[in-house]
Amino acid sequence: MSVTTTAPDKTSLEKRDPDGAPRRAGGLKALLTHPLGRKLVPLTALAAVLIPIAAVLWGSGAWPSELSHDVKAPLDSVNQWIIDNRDTHPLFLYFLLYFSNAATDSVDAVYNLLDSLGWIGVTATAVLFAWRAGGLGRAGLKVAGITLGAFAVCGLLGMWDPTMITLALMVVAVAVSAVLGALLGLAAGLSERFNRMLRPVLDTMQVMPAFSYLLPMVLIFGPGTPAALFSTVIYAVPPMTRLTALGLRGADPAVLEASSSLGASFWQRLLTARLPLARKQMLLGLNQTIMMALSMVVIASIVGAGGLGEEVFTALSTTDVGKALAAGLPIVLIAVWLDRTTAAAGERFGATAAAEATGARRLLHGWRAWALVTAGAVVAAVAGRLAGATLWPEAWVYEISTPVNKFQEWITNNLYQDVPVLGGTKVWADHITEWMINPLRDGLLDAPWWLLLLLVAVLALLVGTWGTALTAVLAMAAVGVLGVWPKTLDTLSQVLVGLALTLLLGFAIGILAARVGWVERWLRLVLDVLQTLPQFVYLIPVVALMGVGRVAAITAAVAYALPAVVRITTQGIKEVDPAALEAARSMGASGAQQLRQVQLPLARPALLVAVNQGVVLVLAVVVVGGLVGGGALGYDVVFGLARGELGVGLVAGAAIVCLGLVLDRVTQPTAATRKES
Amino acid sequence: MSATLVPETPETPEKSENNGKAPVFSVRGLWKVFGPKADRIPGSAEAGLSAEELRARTGCTAAVRDVSFDVQPGEVFVVMGLSGSGKSTLVRCLTRLIEPTAGELSIDGEDVLGMDRNRLRDLRRHRAAMVFQHFGLLPHRSVLDNVAYGLEIQGVGKAERRARAAKVIEKVGLTGLERRRPGQLSGGQQQRVGLARALAVDPEVLLFDEPFSALDPLIRRDMQEEVIRLHREEGRTMVFITHDLSEALRLGDRIALMRDGGIVQLGTPEEIVDSPADDYVRDFVRDVPREQVITVRKAMRPANGDEATDGASVAPGVTVAEAIEVAARSGGPVRVVENGRCIGIVDHQRLLAVVAGVEAGVVPA
Amino acid sequence: MMNSKRVRRTLVAATGAVGLVALSACGAADTGKKNEVGGDKAVTLTVPSWVGAEANVAVAKYILEKELGYKVHTKQMGEVLAWDALSKGDIDGILEDWGHPKQEKQYLNGKKTVVKGGDLGVTGHIGWYVPKYFADKHPDVTDWKNLNKYAEDFKTSESGGKGQLLEGSPDYVTNDDAIIKNLKLDLKTVYAGNESSQITQIKQNVKNKTPFLTYWWTPQWLNNQVDMVEVKLPEYKTGCDADPKKITCAYPKTPLQKYFNADFAKNGGKAAKFLKNFKWTTEQQNEVAGMIAGDKMSADAAAKKWVDENKPTWEKWLP
Repeated sequence: MSVTTTAPDKTSLEKRDPDGAPRRAGGLKALLTHPLGRKLVPLTALAAVLIPIAAVLWGSGAWPSELSHDVKAPLDSVNQWIIDNRDTHPLFLYFLLYFSNAATDSVDAVYNLLDSLGWIGVTATAVLFAWRAGGLGRAGLKVAGITLGAFAVCGLLGMWDPTMITLALMVVAVAVSAVLGALLGLAAGLSERFNRMLRPVLDTMQVMPAFSYLLPMVLIFGPGTPAALFSTVIYAVPPMTRLTALGLRGADPAVLEASSSLGASFWQRLLTARLPLARKQMLLGLNQTIMMALSMVVIASIVGAGGLGEEVFTALSTTDVGKALAAGLPIVLIAVWLDRTTAAAGERFGATAAAEATGARRLLHGWRAWALVTAGAVVAAVAGRLAGATLWPEAWVYEISTPVNKFQEWITNNLYQDVPVLGGTKVWADHITEWMINPLRDGLLDAPWWLLLLLVAVLALLVGTWGTALTAVLAMAAVGVLGVWPKTLDTLSQVLVGLALTLLLGFAIGILAARVGWVERWLRLVLDVLQTLPQFVYLIPVVALMGVGRVAAITAAVAYALPAVVRITTQGIKEVDPAALEAARSMGASGAQQLRQVQLPLARPALLVAVNQGVVLVLAVVVVGGLVGGGALGYDVVFGLARGELGVGLVAGAAIVCLGLVLDRVTQPTAATRKES
Repeated sequence: MSATLVPETPETPEKSENNGKAPVFSVRGLWKVFGPKADRIPGSAEAGLSAEELRARTGCTAAVRDVSFDVQPGEVFVVMGLSGSGKSTLVRCLTRLIEPTAGELSIDGEDVLGMDRNRLRDLRRHRAAMVFQHFGLLPHRSVLDNVAYGLEIQGVGKAERRARAAKVIEKVGLTGLERRRPGQLSGGQQQRVGLARALAVDPEVLLFDEPFSALDPLIRRDMQEEVIRLHREEGRTMVFITHDLSEALRLGDRIALMRDGGIVQLGTPEEIVDSPADDYVRDFVRDVPREQVITVRKAMRPANGDEATDGASVAPGVTVAEAIEVAARSGGPVRVVENGRCIGIVDHQRLLAVVAGVEAGVVPA
Repeated sequence: MMNSKRVRRTLVAATGAVGLVALSACGAADTGKKNEVGGDKAVTLTVPSWVGAEANVAVAKYILEKELGYKVHTKQMGEVLAWDALSKGDIDGILEDWGHPKQEKQYLNGKKTVVKGGDLGVTGHIGWYVPKYFADKHPDVTDWKNLNKYAEDFKTSESGGKGQLLEGSPDYVTNDDAIIKNLKLDLKTVYAGNESSQITQIKQNVKNKTPFLTYWWTPQWLNNQVDMVEVKLPEYKTGCDADPKKITCAYPKTPLQKYFNADFAKNGGKAAKFLKNFKWTTEQQNEVAGMIAGDKMSADAAAKKWVDENKPTWEKWLP
């Protein structure tokens, strides 16, 4: 918009200002000194030179085929080579197969251990350790109670064995991710250069949808435990790495200096000061790693990981939502159990409870407590085995499938169509498709390719630096080069509509939750369950309500991204400086005025973060959208995975990553604020 | 005021080596420059530039520039200056927590800058321990283990180091708090832990980096008393960094006053208050209650006649403030007696002149 | 700075050490063919995503475990992935295959890691279907030549002004895009992306008596619940689907096949013999599938019920 003022409309200029010339020069000068102008004017100049050339050379339609490069064929031949050589080539025999076998063996070992502990042993172990992690006090009892409830419900739902299979995979995946993440984080925390190298990799991985890892992993390791384990590890490593590095870098410099001044060597300082100081951050990283691993373990059952994910899929094949929910709930419960346990342990690190224990209470501290807890677990396991209770008793299984299915059907029957006044979900879906998605997609497809690149450049430049703009434009161009320009624009139109709906709903709900306490409490529970529940569970209700198509895909994305957006919005508004709010109130501002004039403007940074998170999360479920008729890139990834076609799948996966980079860059407000401040 | 009254300032290092013992720290021409190609600055044409010009010309900042001094065994050597004067950098250079850019530095005659990593570590472990402004305590450890930390680094066994730490804890008055975490202590208590940690390794010299500036005034005073008491009891050499003039005057045997990385004046508290080297120092010490710093040795005049044998007496080291009290009680002039011999007299006029900060006029006969 | 250098050195050293350990453990790694828990008497079968195939596996598993004392593991995976796993020995058998020429060429004739296991006895057929309530009202819709006339009825918001042909999972064999183009039909394929999405959509349409056209197949458990009528495409003749781009004919009737891992077929003992003998009819499969999908019985319970009632049939399969 500032661009147009360099060549203002002559008539209007004359009307307003007879002595136009000097004023105009002054305007130009002001424009050049204004920060936005300083960025946009060179861009305008650049565009004015490049775009005519590009348009003449390659036309102004969709991405020119001359600039596309066929990567499918080489990828397919790589695919073939791997299949042909997987059993004979030294790379596999002497290297990758070791990993693969170690993965299978360790997961089997953990599963056998859990199996031999029996349900009583496993439950007792989990409860005792949760109690210990919670500090053996009241907090510990609460965590222990949650743990007991979680395991009991897993059993009651008839999902004991699948839960143990998933747990075994989880244990190994989290252990490997934690160690790997801690090591990478350690290196990044200690070496600035390594940190700089790792940073963009982690940023890219953040926008990379989970499905993209599966395909290459399946190809190399074949379907089964190793592929599932390694994809899970790759997915779960980043938070541990990031937070370990953050913890090490954020360590109190005074403590480190004190340590050095006493003559500590590098390793002494690392072990006695740096690592203990980073402990809390590392635990937070572990917590996030666990949550990431849990969501991936379910997705990974597409490639034969077994466990709860497989139960969900089996239930889906007969469109049995109740059974899928019964398999999905244990995942939520495991998440709650692990989250509360690690959070309780984390709080204990921060707490300053007096450690003065004497006599009997001393038994409850330090290694003695761990020993006691372990002994208790062993006793329970042995007792359970003696009682012959290794498998969850079948009599204690409660069937939730039928009532859930009835409920689901009732909902879909009554909301689908012919609802008085409102119309029904199917009608909404049709309207959204016809009035929002289709025009947007057609508009994007009809726009000249260079115009879209320019648009991306301008947007990225407005929020960031020249570097941001360059990354965004290159990523967008890469999509064209990969030859999936139209499909990417189709996906982009879905993502944009999904994002718009997410933000609309998210901001509205978030503002409501920030102002009404009980709404927030209940909402948080619902949203947490929504986010932890495997997305596949609500594929059927979504299709039943919206019909196969892009709206179904968008609905799934909104459901997935909404919790984070709501949470960030609520938090941002609630954390607005109370002094500013008090000042407004003292001047007699009404509730709406407070919100509009104080809370929203001050919460702007949080809202921008919410937008960015919304983009990343909506994009993350594009692939899931492929399973409900979203088509475009998501379907290509699913297709590639199902057919084992590396070419199609990987190209689509790469395009999603590129799209993610573009959207992330044009919505990442940090770059701009850092520059300006 | 006339410049002729300023004796021998800044004091040359050679001058202070008068008691025959080798200095603990001997510093000559020490530089610390931050910035690109920092090692080219000392000794170059730019070395004499002001801080601002230097930054504009080379992009470098000279935190310590051409500093020389000696720290004598058993003395409390205070480095005092405002923030940004380079004093904290200077004290870190002494154990090479910050690597000096140029100059010479020795401890007990041993070249510090030439030490390899092991020798340097040995120096830090056994010979010089530091107390920090922000304490630098390990939040996850008990008070006892924090105090024993230095010993742990030295490789002392658990039982022994805890026994030794317990003794030091008693010495600094923290008995009963051994099992607490630093987060549960007040600021003053935390700094006592920091002090105990430094003392536990029984170092030859204690380095203090603004240890009390983060504390409340009352607690600060307590802690100063504590340091004075420890020094009296153990006679350990101390290098003390502070931005607080009254703290410097209270604790220091000698004070080095820093500005823009260089030492402006180095002398006893009395010399600095009585004879500021330049306007900067003069401005600095203007509000100091002179009578509490200047001794009667400085204020006295020769005895006339029978004044030398009669009346109340004080030692030459007492402050004017104390002498005023004596004079007020006795009503007459006060004799200054050293080794049983009267070396001078302070009368009301002399004492008042010190308080008023004016030159006592020609002494009437 | 000193630190980072040291860290780097340490990291390099650590990597080197790990590498050495890996090398010293040398000798080729085990190529995968692992004996699962339970030792030699264990069989692993793949469970494809559709219920008919689930019924095969459920019955085979029940008999293998109850009559022959095997431990049977089941693994759920896509069809193409299953071929791959079969070749590697991760699974021992596929009990129902609808024809994967590319994989057959690669593994059966090329690497010879997979062998044929004979007919399942069930005949599969893929085609285009409309619901009976629509066909009853418009009987001529069952001829492809009249489809364009009804394109308007099949239109949805996803099909961009044309009639919608609902497609299923990307796993499944389909020539529909080529057929539409070559027969000049006013239709557009819309990929549900997943079988359960497709079934849900069909059920929802049936409930609301909406007209629709879908890619569909028999045997399928849903056929017991929903009456659908096939639209006649130009007749299938051998070889008319040779060039996927020029197809203008219907899908063939496929006798569904069993495939085994070559090692398992040779050394699988009684289990291999039993699975080779395993052969039942479309009706029998539908019976079990109906119990699983229609009556929501667990696969094991359905298998038990069928096995209890049909002893004469499965006794012949035992080695």
